[in-house]
Amino acid sequence: MNEESTVVCRCEEITLKEIQGTIEKFNCSSREVKLRTRAGMGSCGGRTCRSTIDRLVEQMGGPVISNEVPLSYRPPVRPVSFGILGGAKE
Amino acid sequence: MIDLVVVGAGPAGLGAAIAAAEHGLQVCVVDEFVKPGGRLLGQLHEEPDGKWVNGIEEAQKLYSRAIELGVNILCGVSVYDLQKVDHGWCVYTTDEMIESKCLLLATGASETPIPIPGWTLPGVMSIGAAQVMGNVHRVKPGEKAIIIGVNVLSVAIARELQLCGVHVESILLPQPGILAGDAAQPEKMMESLLRLSHLAPSPLIRMGGKWVSPKLGARLFPKNGFKMWGIPIQLRKTALEIYGENQVEGVRIAEVSASGDVLPGTEKTVSADFVCIAGGLTPMSELASVAGCSFCYVPELGGHVPLHNEFMQTNLAGLYVAGNITGVESAKVARAQGKVAGLSVARVLKALTYGGNEKLHSAVEEVKETRKNALIQFQPGIEEARRELYGKFDETHKKTLISI
Repeated sequence: MNEESTVVCRCEEITLKEIQGTIEKFNCSSREVKLRTRAGMGSCGGRTCRSTIDRLVEQMGGPVISNEVPLSYRPPVRPVSFGILGGAKE
Repeated sequence: MIDLVVVGAGPAGLGAAIAAAEHGLQVCVVDEFVKPGGRLLGQLHEEPDGKWVNGIEEAQKLYSRAIELGVNILCGVSVYDLQKVDHGWCVYTTDEMIESKCLLLATGASETPIPIPGWTLPGVMSIGAAQVMGNVHRVKPGEKAIIIGVNVLSVAIARELQLCGVHVESILLPQPGILAGDAAQPEKMMESLLRLSHLAPSPLIRMGGKWVSPKLGARLFPKNGFKMWGIPIQLRKTALEIYGENQVEGVRIAEVSASGDVLPGTEKTVSADFVCIAGGLTPMSELASVAGCSFCYVPELGGHVPLHNEFMQTNLAGLYVAGNITGVESAKVARAQGKVAGLSVARVLKALTYGGNEKLHSAVEEVKETRKNALIQFQPGIEEARRELYGKFDETHKKTLISI
């Protein structure tokens, strides 16, 4: 197994090759990588791969990491059932 | 509406809850783990004076004190959303919705993963997961470990795994390349290790910490590494791939030059039944981000941290931070920061009695003192980075907040 076929986003099974290819082709931000490949959109909510995606984008010539959090967080920040969202107790 | 909700029952969260409850505030602490104590639960180490520190006992002490003061502690409950409401905060948890006048985020740090070929095989885990299995759940993660990632955390936990009866075969670097970045650079990792030198039983590194430059250290570094507690630390070896049919069977490794390039013809395989990946820690900022806090990117503190001042106030009224969410440091610093946050909340809610200001200011001094005496510095330049951060906060936000 080589580095290229290494899975970066485990939830959606997106490889390094797919992410690198997307950054190269579209010269894009972390957010665009997420929208184009689904990396970071799985059940963990990007908690595992977000830092890797940010680093890849930066190292491949994207914007330098700034004070802004590159991939924004949106609620719910933990996986929750519809029941809980609807106000039911667990 | 209660006075204070604390998210995170680690040293910072419990420290804050205790300080606030001691001033008569009604406090609720929420933690998503089943036991209180946060990262304290995993800690077990020997101080330079030979005394053993058992984090589980430390956690128990904090927990008992908080309970004694009437703090409500909910474990196994996650916070998934926050909202600013009139005169306070609304906290949505998997148990119930709680409203409070003030909110403290003491959510700690999370581990940074390093994707490595084969890292999705069963038997590969983060170094922190191995620590939790061994020290918290009392489950031995395996018999023979290889740890990928040489840093302060991985060396400390390797020692704990050894105490669990695990044979740690070696600690080595991840494969050089775009995924590992600095973590694959012998020089950078030497720099990190030198900050542990005072803990190391090896005279080489103990001496090294005083005078060896990281560059020289990496070059002079023996090919076969050196040992701490009998565990080989190999800054000149790299993990190319984790292999195995259905689960981890071993790691394919190679030698690297001082600048981190793989030396051709040096590849070989080493067997192991589990592998730990240690990519370091980064402040866990998701809730602060949802709340709408301003952030600062401070590599010395581990990444993006909510902008805050030394009284632990963020730029949002009634929202406080303490512990590793403000930067990766030791549990003792986190606890001291928690106390500041608790007193700071008490001050804003006018619960500080006579002499309260002095108490708050001496708590701030205590944080600095604890930081200075910390056994482990996770990153260099923490002190300066913090000073700069607080300066930035004062510049932009001082006028808008209730002055202290």
